[in-house]
Amino acid sequence: MNDIDRRAFLKASAQASAGFAVAFYLPEPKASAESEPSVFEPNAYISIARDNKVTLWVTRSEMGQGVRTNLPAALAEELDVDLARVNLQQAMPGARFKGIRLRTSGSGSSSGTFGSLRKAGATAREMLIAAAASTWNVDRTSCRADSGAVFHVPSGRSLSYGELVAKAAQQPVPVNPPLKNPATFRLIGKPLKRIDAPQIVRGTAVYGLDVHVPGMLFAVIERCPYLGGRLVSFDANKALQVPQVRGVFPITKGISTGVAVVGDNTWAALKGREALKVEWNPGPNQNFDSEVFAHELESAFALDGYPIRRDGDAPHALQNSSKTLDAVYHYPFEAHAPVETMNCIADVREDSCEVWVSTQTPETAHENIMKMLGLPSERIKVHTTLVGGGFGRRLFVDYVDEAVELSKQLGKPVKVLWTRTDDTRHGFFHPASAEQMRAGIDADGRILAWVHKSVGSDLSMFGLPTAEQMKDLQRYAKDEAPWGAFDTPYNFSALKVDYVPVDSPVPTGAWRSVDYPSRVFARESFLDEVARAAGRDPLQLRIDLLAPGDILKLGDQNIDRGRMIRVLELSREKSNWLQPLNPTANRLRGRGLAINIYEGESYIAQVAEVSLARDLSDLKIERIVCVVDCGFPINPLGLEGQVESGITWGLSATLHGKIDFQKGQVVQQSYRDFRVMRMNEMPRIETHIVPSISSPGGFGEHAVPPVAPAVANAIFDATGKRLRRLPFAAGSLEKAI
Amino acid sequence: MAVHVLTINGKQQAIDADPEMPLLWVLRDLLLLTGTKYGCGVGICGACSILEGHLPVRACQVSLHQTAGKSYTTIEGLSAAGDHPCQRAWIDEDVSQCGYCQAGMIMSAAALLHRIPKPTDADIDEAMSNSVCRCGTYQRMRRAIHKAATQRSKA
Repeated sequence: MNDIDRRAFLKASAQASAGFAVAFYLPEPKASAESEPSVFEPNAYISIARDNKVTLWVTRSEMGQGVRTNLPAALAEELDVDLARVNLQQAMPGARFKGIRLRTSGSGSSSGTFGSLRKAGATAREMLIAAAASTWNVDRTSCRADSGAVFHVPSGRSLSYGELVAKAAQQPVPVNPPLKNPATFRLIGKPLKRIDAPQIVRGTAVYGLDVHVPGMLFAVIERCPYLGGRLVSFDANKALQVPQVRGVFPITKGISTGVAVVGDNTWAALKGREALKVEWNPGPNQNFDSEVFAHELESAFALDGYPIRRDGDAPHALQNSSKTLDAVYHYPFEAHAPVETMNCIADVREDSCEVWVSTQTPETAHENIMKMLGLPSERIKVHTTLVGGGFGRRLFVDYVDEAVELSKQLGKPVKVLWTRTDDTRHGFFHPASAEQMRAGIDADGRILAWVHKSVGSDLSMFGLPTAEQMKDLQRYAKDEAPWGAFDTPYNFSALKVDYVPVDSPVPTGAWRSVDYPSRVFARESFLDEVARAAGRDPLQLRIDLLAPGDILKLGDQNIDRGRMIRVLELSREKSNWLQPLNPTANRLRGRGLAINIYEGESYIAQVAEVSLARDLSDLKIERIVCVVDCGFPINPLGLEGQVESGITWGLSATLHGKIDFQKGQVVQQSYRDFRVMRMNEMPRIETHIVPSISSPGGFGEHAVPPVAPAVANAIFDATGKRLRRLPFAAGSLEKAI
Repeated sequence: MAVHVLTINGKQQAIDADPEMPLLWVLRDLLLLTGTKYGCGVGICGACSILEGHLPVRACQVSLHQTAGKSYTTIEGLSAAGDHPCQRAWIDEDVSQCGYCQAGMIMSAAALLHRIPKPTDADIDEAMSNSVCRCGTYQRMRRAIHKAATQRSKA
C-alpha cells in the first residue's frame, strides 16, 4: 500500500472531488437479438425494470453507520421513488463498479457519495421525464416525476417508470441534470430509520459469519502469538483424532502464519485446535513490551523529528513567557474489538473464487485474490455482507487471504472463524503515542506560545516509508499528519508542532478516528491546564483563541473558526456551563470541555459531567452534552446515533480499554480484560445538531476524539487531579500527581 | 455422537452431535438458526443470549447434553410475526447500528420484561449489562425497553 496516499485512503473529503463524477455504467450489449432493453440502467447505481421494480446499489459497507439507509435515500430522493419499495443490492467489485470506490473509511460514506448519488438519481429521473415527454409529444417542462411515475401536469396523464424503461434507455444522458431544491427534499435531511432494522430485530439479517454455503467446512486457525514470529512445525495427529475433524493445514497468508484445523462444524474445529501441537519461532520481537515502548516514545522527545507547523517564533516566545507549563500525555495501543469477530467464507474452484465476507474493503479482497490465485477479475466474486462492526479493523483483508489459501488447499468451501481471543490478539492496533506539550503565558494570562511534539508510530497498514522517503522533512506536514496536531485550530501567536516517528513491531491500522484521539486528548487536556493556570474560563478561552472566527487554511483544509465558535456558544447554553455544579456531601462533581474539528468539515464540542466519591473512587460519567455542526445533516436520526456511538467508543478507551504487550505477545484475551462500556456505566448523552446548509461532513468517527479530554478535564474540575495517561482505570486518580 | 431431543422455537428437534457441543453451534451450524450470534464463546458478551423457558441463557454456555427435554426460544422464534413489543420498540427507537449484538440484546430484554413488566432503569442496568454493544446503542436500547414495557402493558 506504499503508493496510496494515506489521507486519501482514510479520509473522504481528500478525494471528494474525484468521487463526485458519476461513473456511467454501460451495460454489455446483449448477445441475443433482444430489440428493447428490459431494464433501464443509466448508471451503475440504478436499475429500473419493466415491472416497475427499482433496484438501487449500495456502494459502501453497512457497519452500523447507516449507509444502506442514507445512500439509497440520496438516490431515491432525486429519482423520485418510494424508498420503502426499492430493492437494495450490495455492490460487488468488478466491471459494473469499475472506477467507483467501494471501500468504507474516513467517515465519508454518506458525505463523500452524496453529490454523486444525487446526480446519478437526477440523471435517471431526467431521462425518464424526457422519455415520457417524447411519448406524449409534449414539452418536458410540463412533466414532473413523482413516486415512480412521470406525470403530464396539464392533462393529468401518467406513465410509470416501468412503462418508460425502453424509451428512457434511448435518451441522451444529461451532463448536468438539475438537482432538487433542498427545500423540497422528502428523504434527505429527514430522520430516516434504518432500512435493515426489521431483519436485524428478527435475526434474519445476514452478516459474514451467517452465510451458509452448501458443502462448506468450518475452520479455526492457530496463529503465531509472537509479533513477527513464524510457524516452525506442527503435529496434527491428536487433532486429526478428534471426531469430525477433516484436516489440518499450514497457513502462510494473513496477519501471521499459522495452522488451520478444519471440521464438519465449528465445535469440531475448535476441539481439534485444542489438540494441536505447534512449535513457533518467536522471532525478533520476543522481548517487545509496551511499558518499555512507552519509555522509548518519551525518549524520542529529545529528537527534532519532522516540522509540522510553524507560526511565529515559539521557542523565543516561550523564553519571554512569565510562566511556562509542561506536560506529557500518553495514549495506549487499542483494539477494534467488533462483536462480530473476523471471519470469511471462501470457495476456491479450479477456475473461480467466490468469497462472502463482512469487510470494509471488498476491492482489496478482490485484488488480493486475483494476485493469489492468478485468476482474471471476472472469475472472482466478493460478496459483501452486513458488517458486525468495522471501526477500521476491516480495512484489512488478512482474514480473506487465509480463507482463500485454505479453501484452495481443501478444494472445498470453508468458513474461517476467528475466536474472540484470536480477534483480540491478532489485530492491527491503534498505535501507542506520547505527546509533549509546552505553553508559555504572560502575567495577564495570555498564551504566548504553544509547542506540541508528537511521538508515535506510522500506521503499518501502509507499509513503512523507505529511508529515501524519510529524507523529506516535509513528508508528514504534506500528509497533514498527525491529525489533531497538524490541524490545531487555535489562533496562537506562536505555534510549533513537530512529529517524531518511532517504529514498533506492532501491526497498526486505522482505529475509529485514526490519529485524532491521542492528539486531541493531549491538545484539549493541555489547553484546560493552561486555562486553569491562566485563570481563564476554558470555554471562553477557546472562543477567544478562535476569534475572529476566520477561515484557517491548512493544506487542503478550510477550518472555519466561526462555525466552531457557534458550536461552543451553543454548548455553553445546552450544558448550563455557567451554572456551578453542586457537590454533595458524598460526592465530588466536575465538568469538562473538549472540542475537535475533523478535516475542517465537522465541528464538535463535548461537555462531560462526572462525579466521584470523596475518596476519589467510583468515578461516574453522569452526562455528556455534545453539540455538532457537520454541515447539512443527511440523516439527523442517524447522526444522533453516531454521536452516541462515538461517545461510547471514546468512553471505552477513556475508562477501560488498552492493549498491552509482554514478551512479544498481546496480553489481553477478550472483553474480560479488554473491557468496553456496558449499559450500567453509560452517561446521559444529549446531542444537539446545529442546523446547517454547508456541504455535509462525515460523522462516523467524529464524536470519539473529544471524549477523553472532556472527561479528564471534568475529573480535574472535580478533584484537582490531572490524568494524562489512558485509560483512567481504577487507581489512576490515586497515582495522579 | 449421541442423539439429543430438545425443543427449539416450539419445534422438537433430534440432534445427533457431540454431547459437549455448545447449543450455540448446534443452532448456528446444524440448524442454521444464525440469528443467535457468536461474540466470545465464553459467556461474557451476551451476543448468543436465548431463552430457556423464560430465562435468559448464553447459548455458548449450554452444552447439548444439558438440553434434553428443555425448551428454547431464539430470536427467530420470539414472535410469530416478528412483532414482539421489544422488536417493535427496537425499530421505533432506531436502536440498531451494526445490529450484530441486537438479537442477543432483544432476547435479554424480552426475558427482563417477562420477569418485570415495568422495569426501572436499575432493573434494565442489571439485566442488560452482561451484554456488549460495541456500537454503543445503549441509550436507545434503554428507551426501547421502556417503550416496549408500555406497549406490553397496553396489549
